[in-house]
Amino acid sequence: MRLVQSLESLIFSMRSTIVEYDEGDVNLSNNHLRLRFSNASIGFETGNPLIKDVNLTIASGEIVGLTGRSGIGKTTLLRTAAGLLSPLSGSVECCCDLTMNAKRGSIALIPQRLGLIQHQSVGYNVLMGALPGANYLQTVLSLPSREMQEATKDAISAVGLSDKIFESVNRLSGGQQRRVAIARAMVQNPRLILADECLGELDAETAKEIIELLRSLAKEKDMAIFIVDHNPLRVRTFCDRLLQLRGNSLIEFDNLNDRYSLPQAGDGR
Amino acid sequence: MSNRIVNFYQFLKNRPVIRSFFILILLALIAIRHLEINFADFSRASTNLTILVNEAFPPDFSVITDRAAWSKPQCTFEADWACSPAIIGITQTLEIAFLSTIFGMVISLPLAAMAATNLSPPWLAQITRQILSALRVLPSLIWALIFVILVGLGPFAGVLAMTMYTVGYLGKLQYEALEGVSREPLEVARAMGLPRWQIARFFAIPEASNALISQMLFMFEYNVRHGSVIGLVGAGGIGYYLNYYLSPFQLYDRVLALIIVMYVVVVIIDQVSLRIRRKFIDSTEQIQRPRWREVIFTRKN
Repeated sequence: MRLVQSLESLIFSMRSTIVEYDEGDVNLSNNHLRLRFSNASIGFETGNPLIKDVNLTIASGEIVGLTGRSGIGKTTLLRTAAGLLSPLSGSVECCCDLTMNAKRGSIALIPQRLGLIQHQSVGYNVLMGALPGANYLQTVLSLPSREMQEATKDAISAVGLSDKIFESVNRLSGGQQRRVAIARAMVQNPRLILADECLGELDAETAKEIIELLRSLAKEKDMAIFIVDHNPLRVRTFCDRLLQLRGNSLIEFDNLNDRYSLPQAGDGR
Repeated sequence: MSNRIVNFYQFLKNRPVIRSFFILILLALIAIRHLEINFADFSRASTNLTILVNEAFPPDFSVITDRAAWSKPQCTFEADWACSPAIIGITQTLEIAFLSTIFGMVISLPLAAMAATNLSPPWLAQITRQILSALRVLPSLIWALIFVILVGLGPFAGVLAMTMYTVGYLGKLQYEALEGVSREPLEVARAMGLPRWQIARFFAIPEASNALISQMLFMFEYNVRHGSVIGLVGAGGIGYYLNYYLSPFQLYDRVLALIIVMYVVVVIIDQVSLRIRRKFIDSTEQIQRPRWREVIFTRKN
């Protein structure tokens, strides 16, 4: 605790230099491109755009963090990336190398409140991640294949909940529920995971476990992870790149190892 | 005179509660006048009531013990009580209620998913809602009349009639429950790229399952109560036997016995269903209700 406080005070005392993010620096082939915002304005259909001229690319294997104060539009940006909202102008593309059909199941969303089906078991919730890969007959008859069941079991044991497979989700603690949501994303085997505050109010140890889990997913399965977190200090510890929403524009910090460029704890307020 | 009216108007203007009472009473008086209701008819009612009570008391419980040879469909049990009007009637009513609830549920659930605006495109939701409300326009008694004409007298007409009404009524309850499910699970499914029917089948319906089961039990309860009425038009159930004693024979003591039996069964079913439903409803409550004590005496941290 004392360590965090001293780190915070250190960062407070530093002057932050911000570098405008320029997409031109990143030159990637479509095979590795997981998400691309081109001159996109983001917001709701009625009202002014919350964020203007977003240019952003996320490549496979990358973990990208996004911070900013509450209500600034982080979740809206994430929902736009998930295809739940259309950009007001510009374009948002996901998994540019895939055809429309193959894109099914390529995005796994972990919303802030996790989106688990309460009163259903851990097993059921995790198995839902396998739905995009199931064929028509399997879904109509609600009969998961042996592979789907195996993948579900593996994911549940990977997040350390093997003994809770038949337990109702609403009986689990907050941290355990988060692990269920991550296991669901693992079973889906997506190309891009979009996680909204997935570390929430977790204690340091559980947060660390979940971070390790995400990191291994990104590296081993070549997934890209776009993670929104209100706490810049925490998110910078495991992200490859860190973005921040300030005003109505998106800013990238050029070097995470450079203390001078780090966001301050009270940024954007 | 006009001065008085102005004064009265001023009096009402500043008193909203008295004003609304005044308007309600005025409307009630207009309705009574328009319907030509004559309260003097009450005097006749009291003499009729004495005759009715005299004939109905004591209730004749032979309806539980004696065989009803005229039952429809024919009863084949050995024991007389098993073929008595009360037992056959109640059993038929329960069977009609059970079947129509099951059939109604099977038909209404997909319709409800189509009518829920968070699961369906707006045009489809609108059309399905219109269909459901059209089914609700007619009460089950009128549906029973229609089906008695279409398929003839008997419990089958009753099942069809109750099913139609159940679809309309349960469908509305269900689409409201489905629209009430939290947004996140549906967004997760949408981000996965799942088709709408899968979102409804695997995410929305399981999420709303407690409410759906509770509504189904409520509908069964409701169908038992209404199943006794549709027999009056010949659509089976205990109402058929009530009507048998009522219209040609006027055996009010037997009618009263049947009503008592019906009452006991309905009360038992209501209680059992309420218990089961409470179990489902209680476990759905995630949010703790605020307590007045905590609002008034804030906890010190």
